[in-house]
Amino acid sequence: MTNINGKAYSMNAITPMKPWKTPFLKLFFFILGAVKPLQKDLKNLSFIHFARWVCIARDGFPRLADSQPAEELKYDYLLFFSNFNGTWNQYIDAFSAVLYRGLDLIWRWSEKYPGSQPVTAFKRYISLVQFDTDYYYNVYPHAATNDVKAAIRVQRAFDELAKKSESLTPEEFQKEWLTFQVQVAPDLGATGIAPVGT
Amino acid sequence: MANVSGSTYGLTILSPIKEDNQLDLCHSMELRWYLSQLPRDHRSPFAQLSDTYLARLVVMDDVVFVGHPACEEHLKSRYLVFETNFDGGLDHYLTRMAQETGEFVNAVWQHCVGFPGTEDLNKFIEYMKRCQIETTFFFADVNDQTVESTLNALKTQAALAAFMERHQGCKAGELQRAFGSFAMSLRQAPPLPRGGDESRDIRQDRRGHD
Repeated sequence: MTNINGKAYSMNAITPMKPWKTPFLKLFFFILGAVKPLQKDLKNLSFIHFARWVCIARDGFPRLADSQPAEELKYDYLLFFSNFNGTWNQYIDAFSAVLYRGLDLIWRWSEKYPGSQPVTAFKRYISLVQFDTDYYYNVYPHAATNDVKAAIRVQRAFDELAKKSESLTPEEFQKEWLTFQVQVAPDLGATGIAPVGT
Repeated sequence: MANVSGSTYGLTILSPIKEDNQLDLCHSMELRWYLSQLPRDHRSPFAQLSDTYLARLVVMDDVVFVGHPACEEHLKSRYLVFETNFDGGLDHYLTRMAQETGEFVNAVWQHCVGFPGTEDLNKFIEYMKRCQIETTFFFADVNDQTVESTLNALKTQAALAAFMERHQGCKAGELQRAFGSFAMSLRQAPPLPRGGDESRDIRQDRRGHD
């Protein structure tokens, strides 16, 4: 399936918005970007590599030649692109359970948005506005976001130990080695293919 | 700038796709065929663009009608959506795209309106920027690393577990020497292949049980 590459799922969605509502959404995103603690839930979910929201004004679709017909749209559009780990159902369930307030503040400006709870109506809406990916590349297909974060913690601890190891006596090193093992043990383990799911 | 999070740039491009009723196979379908055949692993053109984390190409046929009382409306063109996340600046990335993956770029964007090709770098960059849509909000979970440093960390993580297992119960001097050699060999080892390959399957599954 082209929406999936290794452990990452690429999701695309487009929803129409009345143009007078767009500035309110942009204001919300501005606040979300400026006040980092508001992103805490998004961070804590820890299964999104990258996500972005893009507002396109009704006259904002690129027109590159006179031969290309000009768009005549009544709505602005909100595009959403996400790269997440896990299955589509897990993702939407988690969004609905944990991020419902934030999601509603983002999509409440879109036409016919039913709210993120109850999740059944929310899933039906996402299914309607989602479109598939034709080509998807992932630099580390076998690593989830948590794998990446764990590997970075391991690397930092490893670099620290490597830096001081030469100046230690064998006995001192052995002691440091034990401490190091305890420190990195929760973050070890090999990455690999994802479990099958829907 | 909303296109940037930490050291990561999020580029969104919408390129209108050519329409030609005279063709047996329309441009959007030819594009889909081409993309379906393109390797997605270490042979991907994006693996050559070493700064790329995740990238996608999508043919967007139309906008969506969400039901009454919303108005039903349609696009007059199809659009190729190109979404990519990479380290560094936009001009540098686009220059590398044109110079290192020119064949791929031309094969894809030849189906798009007004595409000038990659031979004239300035025209190519100007074209891509005309197609760029400013990101309104960009979230990157890890945004203080590079592709290179992340792949190195994954390499260290995988190798370290095996090293620990092999050196359980070693004497202090032997352990210290082995660690020094291990750290040196890790520094000299080639980076993990971008885009993955078979060698990155779960190692434990292949190991015989004691």
